[in-house]
Amino acid sequence: MVDAALQTPSIARGASRRSALRRALRRKSTIAFLMTLPLILLVALLVLYPALYSLHLATLNKSMERFVGFGNFLFLFKRETFWMVVQQSCIFAITAVIFKALIGFIVAHFVHNIPSKGQRKWRGMLLVPWVIPPAMSCLAWLWLFDPSYSAFNWILDRLSIAAVPWTGDANWARFSVILVNVWIGAPFFMIMYLAALKSVPEQLYEAAAIDGANWWQRMWYVTLPMMRNIMAITALFSLIVTFANFDIVRILTAGGPVDRTHVFATWAFRVGIEGGDLPLGASVSLFMVPILTVAAIFILRDIHRRASEMS
Amino acid sequence: MTVASLATDAATARRSRYGSISRDRRWALRWSYFFLTVFAIFFLMPPVYMLITSLKTSQEISAATDPWWVHNPTLGNYIELLTSPTYLAFFRNSALVSVIVVVITMLISVPAAFALSRMRFWGSATLATGVFLTYLIPETLLFIPLFKMFALVNEYTGIQLINRWWVLLLLYPTLTVPFCTWIMIGYFASIPKELDEAALMDGANYRQILTRVFIPVALPGLIAATIFAFTVSWAQFLYPLAFTTSADQLVLPVGIVTSLIKGDVFNWGQIMTGALLGAAPPLIIYAFLMDYYIAGLTAGATKG
Amino acid sequence: MRKSKLSRRRFLATTAASTAVIAMPHVRGVYAAGKLSMGFWDHWVPGANNATTALVKEWAEKEKVEVQIDYIPSQGNKLLITITAEAQAGSGHDILSFPSWQPADHARSLEPVDDIMAQLIKQNGAVTPIVEYLAKPGGRWLAVPSTVGSQIKGPCSRIDLMKQHAGIDVQSLYPAGAPPKADSWTLDALLKAAEACHKAGFAFGIGLGTTSDSVDTAGAIFQSFGAALVDAKGDVTVKSDVVRQALDYYVRLARFFPPDAPAWDDSSNNKWLVSGRGALIMNPPSAWAVAKRDAPQVAEQCWTHGMPAGPKGRYAPFLPYFWGIWNFSKNKSAAKSLLVHLSQRSSAEKMVAASGGYDLPSFASFTDFKTWADEAPPKGTLYHYPNSHNHQILSMAASPAPPKIAVQIYTQGLMTKMTVRHLQGEPMEKTLAWAESEIEGFMRT
Repeated sequence: MVDAALQTPSIARGASRRSALRRALRRKSTIAFLMTLPLILLVALLVLYPALYSLHLATLNKSMERFVGFGNFLFLFKRETFWMVVQQSCIFAITAVIFKALIGFIVAHFVHNIPSKGQRKWRGMLLVPWVIPPAMSCLAWLWLFDPSYSAFNWILDRLSIAAVPWTGDANWARFSVILVNVWIGAPFFMIMYLAALKSVPEQLYEAAAIDGANWWQRMWYVTLPMMRNIMAITALFSLIVTFANFDIVRILTAGGPVDRTHVFATWAFRVGIEGGDLPLGASVSLFMVPILTVAAIFILRDIHRRASEMS
Repeated sequence: MTVASLATDAATARRSRYGSISRDRRWALRWSYFFLTVFAIFFLMPPVYMLITSLKTSQEISAATDPWWVHNPTLGNYIELLTSPTYLAFFRNSALVSVIVVVITMLISVPAAFALSRMRFWGSATLATGVFLTYLIPETLLFIPLFKMFALVNEYTGIQLINRWWVLLLLYPTLTVPFCTWIMIGYFASIPKELDEAALMDGANYRQILTRVFIPVALPGLIAATIFAFTVSWAQFLYPLAFTTSADQLVLPVGIVTSLIKGDVFNWGQIMTGALLGAAPPLIIYAFLMDYYIAGLTAGATKG
Repeated sequence: MRKSKLSRRRFLATTAASTAVIAMPHVRGVYAAGKLSMGFWDHWVPGANNATTALVKEWAEKEKVEVQIDYIPSQGNKLLITITAEAQAGSGHDILSFPSWQPADHARSLEPVDDIMAQLIKQNGAVTPIVEYLAKPGGRWLAVPSTVGSQIKGPCSRIDLMKQHAGIDVQSLYPAGAPPKADSWTLDALLKAAEACHKAGFAFGIGLGTTSDSVDTAGAIFQSFGAALVDAKGDVTVKSDVVRQALDYYVRLARFFPPDAPAWDDSSNNKWLVSGRGALIMNPPSAWAVAKRDAPQVAEQCWTHGMPAGPKGRYAPFLPYFWGIWNFSKNKSAAKSLLVHLSQRSSAEKMVAASGGYDLPSFASFTDFKTWADEAPPKGTLYHYPNSHNHQILSMAASPAPPKIAVQIYTQGLMTKMTVRHLQGEPMEKTLAWAESEIEGFMRT
């Protein structure tokens, strides 16, 4: 549209039509290019180049003097801890995203149900966990889970239930990390789903009600299909962020006990920086990229397919 | 048939005893409020706990008589932190970094989003998706090579990048710009093209189209992107942890975690106070601009 | 963390210097000796940093050097990260604090300090053998032992609880002001006491995590059996009888630890003691210092004393700190002069006093400062902390392995992880095999 608008005056000029046109096109492209140049520079210099450099780093030996090709990766594949970290990261990310989506969906429905006047207030309250910096809220959770002073254990004690080792036992520690992640992330899902719910046209629901659908059928045949795009995008975004998460595990459990809550990011930090083996740390981090790319491709393909179906 | 059934429904509704809401609807409402309260308690409990603990002296915390209520409230922790030059330095650094990063982010994202959504040029489609894909490269991967790069810069140009707060001004935009660009693309794409044409008919060039037409119309999106960039910058933990060491260069999240927690002596009253004060700016901004924030997040997604 | 930069002074100095240079070319500028930046360990005892700051400023005024001091915490491994980062980048502070295995691990990047160490040893006497081992890999001194931060993580017991439930009178085993009479204080006695206190509900608070408190204790116990995972030559000796004995003993002891001990960090044992739930922890006096402030009734029952003896000797968990100069520093002579100043007897005394007795100088003749005898309540509670009667050997966890491997065994908490795995039911041979494979990983170059 803008192209057409721009070309009309140049065509109208007549004699030097062609060169003017070319000049105009070039001008537009250059302007557009210049406008995106800072973005391109930023991404190229501070994201792509370091990423490629870390690829190079991952092929070096520990003291970074020799080239060892896939040596670091082969070493990782033979380690029990590495596979444990892979498994933990995947379970962590998938479980957390599922629960976040579920809770977000349920809460969004409840908020959608109440009269519009009250919705703003509730929405505001429920989004708080996402607004607080994660590092700060993790400190609060750390204190809530403290082995000696846990406020939760205090309540359990009053109910004569045995104290729970929130960060002390491997399985409870995994639960706690997922819990905190869900606490922080569910509000985001709620907001997204609420917006999507609002955008579903009322007529569809009325039509379904007239056809005698109960609430479950309305959900399955009207709500979910209309929300699929949003659900896919939020799930993807959240999967990426959760998979690469560092803050929560680091502050809450530092990967323990006995490495049972390590995820890629924290374990890369542990072997790379704290263990003094930067190439190995880079290798561990790099492992995240293929897994994330595969997930991204699947979901993006799904979105594009549906977008082209609809148009 | 439809009209008749609608009429019957209306009649039924009119006949119900309590005004215009049917019994089912009322029960649904009650359950909704009940569950919402439960979830609200779940979501708000940690900040409330932070507040309660921040009002306690460390003796009361050690005594552990009642973690959920303060018996001898004291503002001692707040006074100590707000008069501590170290803590105020953290605050100042965080504020400076966040505000400047927001400005930088907007200066980069808005033109880029405009170009990508309106001007079709070679590679614009790939660039638009490619921008999103930068999120696939996590920061834990990048900070090691970045460290070496900055050290090299120091060697060749003498510009000190390690352990200076302004290095964060370079790094944070990598986290904020992609998402803000994506939000803005969504907003800009939804602006009707007739507006462009009208402006062009009036003889406007691109800069004027952007500033006079797009920005005012997409203002909610801009505000949302600004808030997002601010919140993300304020909450950053890994990059400052890796790149800043000296106390006067730290930002708030790292400052609290590393300097208020001293090895084996935890001062939880102060830590909770510090954390609460640290969470305050995003919360306050959010409280005032909540609608823009939510609108921006959701619109960018539903339209993009 | 606090930074002290003499900025106003510098402004005046620069103005004065520039006018002076113009007016009188023969007068020396105020900061002719240059700049020096240092990163010290951020002390856990409140206020202890001030003594170091004062000493540095005193020296800086005399030597006309402009100083910048950063206090870097070890919490979250921040100090470790800084060390690694500066070694990688080849730039940073001039002087840094280096804990335990770090000087040997970064031997290539440190400036040798044989000259000042020779002078200091002549002046102050010999250093503890383990300190010499750590700071002198390959025969050259690479770092100066630091008073600040060096600590023994020996037992700190509750006098009343040990007497009541374990029948052990720690005050008579380790009387204040006199040599210890602790022949009956053996690892078996520790085990029995742990069981008794556990049954009484006041378990020993010893962690099994991967932070230094837990690792140091495990290391000392292993050494008491003469067990080393890797010997001095670099051979893997995991599957030896002494290692089996040590692991077996420690697991039997660990059954009486709190159930979440595998997740403990360096603060957990402090909290355990201060909350009154523990009869014994392995910690330097920082826990007692906090109890003095927050739980005085617990503090006046605390007694710091020596480690129990094992079959191969009485080893105490020791964590030394060092001051090291990077070889990329631009002002090495000033740095060396400062380190000599900080290692004087008077300086050490001030640091120890400011830390409430926490800091331990590594020169043998310095263990008789009055601070330890005077700290109270109860009086004499820290008398046996500095090991002044030399009745235990200071051990470094993971020694005598070569430093590059030892630092990995240490930071990855291999010994505590082995204990936890076996404690949670894994057969010993499987645990040993796992440890061997981990060590193979550490041996990568």
